[in-house]
Amino acid sequence: MLKWSVDNIRNFSIIAHIDHGKSTLADRLLEFTGTIEKRQMREQILDTMDLERERGITIKAQAIRMEYQGYILNLIDTPGHVDFSYEVSRSLAACEGALLLVDASQGIEAQTLANAYLAINSNLKIIPIINKIDLPNAEPEKVLTEIKNVFGIEKSEVILASAKEGVGIKEILEAIIERIPPPKGSAKDPLKALIFDSHYDIYRGVVAYLRIMSGTLNSGSKILMMGNQNEYEVLETGILRLGLIPKKELFAGEVGYLISGVRNVRECRVGDTVTEARNPAAEPLPGYKPIKPMVFCGFYPVNTGDFEHLKDALEKLQLNDAALTFETESSAALGFGFRCGFLGLLHLEIVQERLEREYGIDLVATAPSVIYKIIKKGGGELLIDNPSSFPNPSIIEVIEEPFLKLSVFTPSEYVGKIMELTIDKRGIFKGVEYFDPTRVMATFEMPLSEMISEYHDLLKSVSRGYASMDYEFIGYVPSDLVKLDILLNSEPVDALAVIVHREKAYYRGKMLVEKLKEEIPRHQFEIPIQASIGSKAIARETKPALRKNVLQKCYGGDITRKRKLLEKQKEGKKRMKRIGSVDVPQEAFMAVLKLGK
Amino acid sequence: MNTVSVYIHIPFCKKKCNYCDFVSFADKEELIDGYVEALKHEITSIPQQLKIKTIFFGGGTPSLLAPKQLEKILSHFESRITYPEISIECNPGTVNLQKLKDFHKLGINRLSIGAQSFNDRELKTLGRIHTAKEIHETVENARKAGFKNVGLDLIFALPNQTLESWKETVRKAVELEPEHLSTYNLQIEEGTPFWKMTNDKPCLTAGRFQMSNNNFQLPDEETEACMYEFAIDYLKAKGYKHYEISNFSKPGYECKHNIVYWKNGDYIGIGVNAASHINNSRHENPNNFEEYFLMANQQSKGLAGKLASRPARDEISETIMMNLRLLDGLSKKEFKERFGKDIEELYKKEIDELEKDNLIENTKTHLKLSRKGLFLANLIFEKFVD
Repeated sequence: MLKWSVDNIRNFSIIAHIDHGKSTLADRLLEFTGTIEKRQMREQILDTMDLERERGITIKAQAIRMEYQGYILNLIDTPGHVDFSYEVSRSLAACEGALLLVDASQGIEAQTLANAYLAINSNLKIIPIINKIDLPNAEPEKVLTEIKNVFGIEKSEVILASAKEGVGIKEILEAIIERIPPPKGSAKDPLKALIFDSHYDIYRGVVAYLRIMSGTLNSGSKILMMGNQNEYEVLETGILRLGLIPKKELFAGEVGYLISGVRNVRECRVGDTVTEARNPAAEPLPGYKPIKPMVFCGFYPVNTGDFEHLKDALEKLQLNDAALTFETESSAALGFGFRCGFLGLLHLEIVQERLEREYGIDLVATAPSVIYKIIKKGGGELLIDNPSSFPNPSIIEVIEEPFLKLSVFTPSEYVGKIMELTIDKRGIFKGVEYFDPTRVMATFEMPLSEMISEYHDLLKSVSRGYASMDYEFIGYVPSDLVKLDILLNSEPVDALAVIVHREKAYYRGKMLVEKLKEEIPRHQFEIPIQASIGSKAIARETKPALRKNVLQKCYGGDITRKRKLLEKQKEGKKRMKRIGSVDVPQEAFMAVLKLGK
Repeated sequence: MNTVSVYIHIPFCKKKCNYCDFVSFADKEELIDGYVEALKHEITSIPQQLKIKTIFFGGGTPSLLAPKQLEKILSHFESRITYPEISIECNPGTVNLQKLKDFHKLGINRLSIGAQSFNDRELKTLGRIHTAKEIHETVENARKAGFKNVGLDLIFALPNQTLESWKETVRKAVELEPEHLSTYNLQIEEGTPFWKMTNDKPCLTAGRFQMSNNNFQLPDEETEACMYEFAIDYLKAKGYKHYEISNFSKPGYECKHNIVYWKNGDYIGIGVNAASHINNSRHENPNNFEEYFLMANQQSKGLAGKLASRPARDEISETIMMNLRLLDGLSKKEFKERFGKDIEELYKKEIDELEKDNLIENTKTHLKLSRKGLFLANLIFEKFVD
């Protein structure tokens, strides 16, 4: 057992662009320090959700304490996607240093840059590492130059490594100890602890992960959450190994957990400050902001009987996901469902996938929408997160929509195509910066609504996968927007309505009805499919009636097989949503979003 | 006394057709004699108390068998057959006048001729071994041999077939004055050469494929519907009764054997892959010779041992589905006698909906397909399955 001293503590994160090897490096560090024995090891040990492993991304932050040569090394893992950049910033605020991981064949990418700036702005000591040097197409020299040009970091400071092959791990551990400063803050000052993550445990309630910035957190004492001013009793504190290891006190500089009977992650917000109720800190730690969902969509059960089941599942997910919001909504077309709010499109997809996979619910998801701000004539403001509640245009003075600052990092040869794509998505070009002759960063301002309609996929496709991006919300901007209605069989379908820019309405309308014509199967009657703005139709297609659907041959040997065939067909129809008298497949609702270009 | 129909499967062909997914083999004629022996074993096992109502030789190509071989099979029924309908499927490329005369002498009284088309190019596309001229000759010879009940099978929606060429086929078939006509649309079934051709190159647009460097296109849904419609109207005008979705006959010449299937009645199938349905139970024989021979030789334990009982629900679904294929429809009385419940008690909502959509006619005594329902029968059947 080592003697505890704050000078022996190092708190650090690993920051990297997606796929640059963050989880593999974490695995190697855990192995090398003996925190986890080889036989317990499985890949991406910190990514505990199946989804995380499958998608190769980290959704939840995690932390783990290692001991190495008399030092305590706390690794605070960060989420790896732009949807979760606030969580990244809080994790970084809990550290004194960061390993900046860059792929030796890919070089610096948008999130490398965005996360590195976050770390630099939080005054973190950066340890640059070039990873995957074992790859045949690795170009460490080129990446060294890039790091020098972009961050002004000398080549001699960079560690060359291959996490996969275990190369450079010792050097990294030594650099963590030598280069990253120990935490400051006195154990005698009033308590300030930063919550950087939390999870819900069905037996013990919310487990908050925190970093003690100053003071001491004692088991049994009363604490105050400074964000919501709620008081709790500390039931248990401890440190984070592969599991939770109880420890009666946590001192300034330490990273650990707190269990205090909180039943809901919402009461234990990431970024909030924990202090002692009897002797509270004067000021909370800086940087706390309540999470606001940016993207909304409706989730409806395909079988109306699943409504309660869906509600139950959402509540369960919410216990562990402070960013997920939902409230009941009803649609004339789809019946009862929920309007859900998400941090971004990935967050939405993850929740949808978990509902379908873990809870076995067949869902119809309506097209994602952002929050529009409508300023009414004669004053007053409306916030619209659902196209179906778009007001009558006659009462609208101005409509505003959320805009982003978008940074795209790309090999220079794709800049032209990326500009074309982004401008087509109503992006406004702001400038281009060269990091070296072949790598550039283009910046734009663009509506969030365009970002969530498959911008990322298109960006990847025009740049053959080389471009990467990062974005941040900058504010609301007036826009000429209209509500585009879709009519099936002459009836407007509220769940298919979208809010679009006026200039794009015609094109979107035309694409939409064509796509719906493809997706909706033939029925025994003809189905007109129209797009309209107000009462004005702008596009129309007709799905012809089913003319012939009959098993023409059926004799003694066929009967059971044919019955089963019919059962299968019927099962397929059950998975569709009936709107009026039209069966609409789930895909049709998503088609509203994915129109390609 | 209970009656039963017997289906005898003859899984031998000169050549497999491009559309055929029945169990049949083109290069195994040396097995026929042994196969006939196995069939005899199976016939012995048919319970003695059952009276044979009809016999149907299907295939494959049953007309490939020599009259002597057929005689061995039929004589094994001994005195159990008293004037039933005995049908045989017949490929025009496998029979001459003498053979048909011999068939007739054996007591076979119904010929079901696989004509398929009267267009030689289409016959070639299908992979048939005969020409249109040979169909004419076969029908002529059948009459000379004494057959009073001759049926022709036709297939429509063939690759590159136009509505006009289908009409021509139907007209030519009617000129031969058969007592019975069956018209099926071509189904591209998995495992057939057509399936391979249409599914191997997914880059081609729907229904388009290549065969020996020629381009083919399957007719679209609209054309297919028009073809079916033409057959219905034309055959009716020529005095044929439309009595099942795909079957037409001169009055009194409906195929009794097949009606047993459509009433979901009792039948015993013998031979490779043949299916049986007795006392609400179904059974299927092995689909390969090896297992089949093994099974046939152990027939002593009788049919009872191999029948699997099934949920009553499936039996009801299948009975409705099959009966609705008949233009007379499902008899409500028969349904109640069989299942002890009114069909309207079980399927009130479904029947109301179908009636509202004009897909069925609901009379006092029967439930039947409407004209529109004939074309969309699957939508109707679907309602009665789970």
